[in-house]
Amino acid sequence: SGKLWGGRFVGSVDPIMEKFNASIAYDQRMWEADIQGSKAYSKGLEKAGLLTKAELGEILCGLDKVAEEWANGTFVQNPSDEDIHTANERRLKELIGETAGKLHTGRSRNDQVVTDLRLWMRGSCSALSAHLRTLLTTMVERAEAEKDVLFPGYTHLQRAQPIRWSHWILSGAIAGNPLGVDRELLRKELNFSAITLNSMDATSERDFVAEFLFWGSLCMTHLSKMAEDLIIYGTKEFSFVQLSDAYSTGSSLMPQKKNPDSLELIRSKVGRVFGRCAGLLMTLKGLPSTYNKDLQEDKEAVFEVFDTMNSVLQVATGIISTMKINKACMEEALSPDMLATDLAYYLVRKGMPFRRAHEASGKAVFMAETKKLALSQLSLTELQTISPLFTSDVSQVWNYANSVEQYQALGGTAQSSVDWQIQQLRGMLRTLPQ
Amino acid sequence: MASESGKLWGGRFVGSVDPIMEKFNASIAYDQRMWEADIQGSKAYSKGLEKAGLLTKAELGEILCGLDKVAEEWANGTFVQNPSDEDIHTANERRLKELIGETAGKLHTGRSRNDQVVTDLRLWMRGSCSALSAHLRTLLTTMVERAEAEKDVLFPGYTHLQRAQPIRWSHWILSHAVALSRDLERLLEVRKRIDVLPLGSGAIAGNPLGVDRELLRKELNFSAITLNSMDATSERDFVAEFLFWGSLCMTHLSKMAEDLIIYGTKEFSFVQLSDAYSTGSSLMPQKKNPDSLELIRSKVGRVFGRCAGLLMTLKGLPSTYNKDLQEDKEAVFEVFDTMNSVLQVATGIISTMKINKACMEEALSPDMLATDLAYYLVRKGMPFRRAHEASGKAVFMAETKKLALSQLSLTELQTISPLFTSDVSQVWNYANSVEQYQALGGTAQSSVDWQIQQLRGMLRTLPQ
Repeated sequence: SGKLWGGRFVGSVDPIMEKFNASIAYDQRMWEADIQGSKAYSKGLEKAGLLTKAELGEILCGLDKVAEEWANGTFVQNPSDEDIHTANERRLKELIGETAGKLHTGRSRNDQVVTDLRLWMRGSCSALSAHLRTLLTTMVERAEAEKDVLFPGYTHLQRAQPIRWSHWILSGAIAGNPLGVDRELLRKELNFSAITLNSMDATSERDFVAEFLFWGSLCMTHLSKMAEDLIIYGTKEFSFVQLSDAYSTGSSLMPQKKNPDSLELIRSKVGRVFGRCAGLLMTLKGLPSTYNKDLQEDKEAVFEVFDTMNSVLQVATGIISTMKINKACMEEALSPDMLATDLAYYLVRKGMPFRRAHEASGKAVFMAETKKLALSQLSLTELQTISPLFTSDVSQVWNYANSVEQYQALGGTAQSSVDWQIQQLRGMLRTLPQ
Repeated sequence: MASESGKLWGGRFVGSVDPIMEKFNASIAYDQRMWEADIQGSKAYSKGLEKAGLLTKAELGEILCGLDKVAEEWANGTFVQNPSDEDIHTANERRLKELIGETAGKLHTGRSRNDQVVTDLRLWMRGSCSALSAHLRTLLTTMVERAEAEKDVLFPGYTHLQRAQPIRWSHWILSHAVALSRDLERLLEVRKRIDVLPLGSGAIAGNPLGVDRELLRKELNFSAITLNSMDATSERDFVAEFLFWGSLCMTHLSKMAEDLIIYGTKEFSFVQLSDAYSTGSSLMPQKKNPDSLELIRSKVGRVFGRCAGLLMTLKGLPSTYNKDLQEDKEAVFEVFDTMNSVLQVATGIISTMKINKACMEEALSPDMLATDLAYYLVRKGMPFRRAHEASGKAVFMAETKKLALSQLSLTELQTISPLFTSDVSQVWNYANSVEQYQALGGTAQSSVDWQIQQLRGMLRTLPQ
């Protein structure tokens, strides 16, 4: 049965299997972490008397040269370099000779690879957190600058109550808050002042990878929500926002089109990120303990999610920063019927139980619809047929600015509360570690 | 506002363009893989335009010639990309214009990238399904031939990873082949639904210029045309089906891999992988690890991840084309590449794997014939429930006396049931045991032969 495919064999080796097995195509991305890890390990070997000071010096020097080659793009790969660890050691040997063969004493690729991955991820978490800070800062500053703009808040995509535009922005910014907790947990795990307790667990657990992938999935879910909102707000019918040309795309067929592609892509990519999370958990399921080759599937998942988050966070910052709002359209969308709850609260403040006030307000809405009037156009006399509690001061209700200012309890859409949210977020950005 | 916060990242802007956004938006990095399909689609479309009177015969000739040159450049690796080439469609049209001038600008008349891209993707996937089905056939053929050759080898069948009943080794091979044969059928079914032409749907509303979709269908050898332009430019069912097909096929392969990894342990020693499919350890000199199998087992994760991810991306999209759909291609390419290598590596593994007949037969133990002992009594008229009990008693008796089940004397057996006579000795024979299972689908030789026949027949009759 060798005849079936024997043709592709090169000697005793199946080139398809070689490629299948090798990870150098993607794990070379960790060249720097691998060299850092090896330098540290060789210092450990010297202290344990397994390397002389001279040998240590040769190895460190050699590793620095290898690093230079990677940094300059002059590192030449060898077909036998199946992964970054093999490649670096092979090159070190070419540079310094037999001493290179002492480097791997007592070490296995099992602990070497996961050390490299943790080093790489520690750095990449810092990069991502910087982008996320920038996005949050952009959103907070926009929220501060546009505090006076009011527009409809929606539930079920139906106009619900007037809110401040800044309140909407901050709702997205605050979804980023729990991130601080996750980052802290990840950072604790990646803090090399702590050591793993058990070698069997240490060489095989990929909890930190799974958590990173889940973090990405949840963060992308938040960004997809914001994207969906803005796509709808950017329709001709809403016309609340307009994306800068830099974040829009035309149509090769329809000349009038200005499409929010940037937002659509952000919305779409939660799929691939969550796919990596679901996929890795599936790969981990049912593995017997300690190292199994299946674990090699971790890296491409991490790299893909990092690359996705890296671009998405930066594009999102660009979108928010350059987006124009149409204050007039937003305020035109406010309609008196959105103050029906306020009408109920008016009665509540005059002593009526809320349930009855809700009913009374509902009657007013019905009355206005029947008479084909706006809610605010009902006369005092007409209102008084619903409840004698209505007096001339009911005119205060038909004022959107008054409406939003009611919501003073912390977390609400009143100016003082929006200021408080901004304060909180700025405080968090200041105090969270970089 | 914009200029204030422009300071935050304005530095990276080049004129009015954000280079990060450009890269984010572009798909050329991966969709160039469909260069050939894109050119085929354009050639067919230009013939449609000529028939509709929108191109003269001369213009058609120029366009076809030009497209052939573009194809040559791609094939030879000499196609030079331009920074403005955001996708393969833009790239090909841009190059065509450089080669033949303004006539190139007529090619896209009435067409949209919305129907162009999904035509390209269907063409590409139709071809790739054929490539994968060829590999799957080869794997199936390898497994069937191995099953034929090693029909006489017996070993333990396991349930809950505990020794259950003796089976033929070939029966194990065929259990996996049968699952993979369903994967082959499924792949061909998916290919059928891929094989439908969407071109002529425009961006959303259809084609307003009299292009003959039947002509396009024939040119591109599609079996049918799509019914509704809004659905045609946005549905990605065929992608989701392909990704699911991959997920299920990989689940089957992961099961086979798991079995072989366990059978390859020192403790089992049933199989040994060829060196070509094993790997050593950089630390432990004795190690010979079944990395090929572990990788096959592992990759169901990324394949299913693509399936789950794409369904998530599709969820809640409003109808017709949305940019989110661009996420389909990398999912398809990754799953294709994974299946392409996995199927070939699996074939190599099965083909070169050695079995250790002696170890396999040594693992057969008399207690695995306890069911046979019960059947012996059943054949003598005892109700199965009671026979099961009686056999259980014999197992217990043997364990208590620290004897193998087959070492119990006739006298000892007769204390359990007078139905035992000297012919009970026939039971302690593994070859007899497997030969009982004659009902089609069982592990008897005739049934194994029948399975092999069925699979060969299926491989003969299924379309390529």
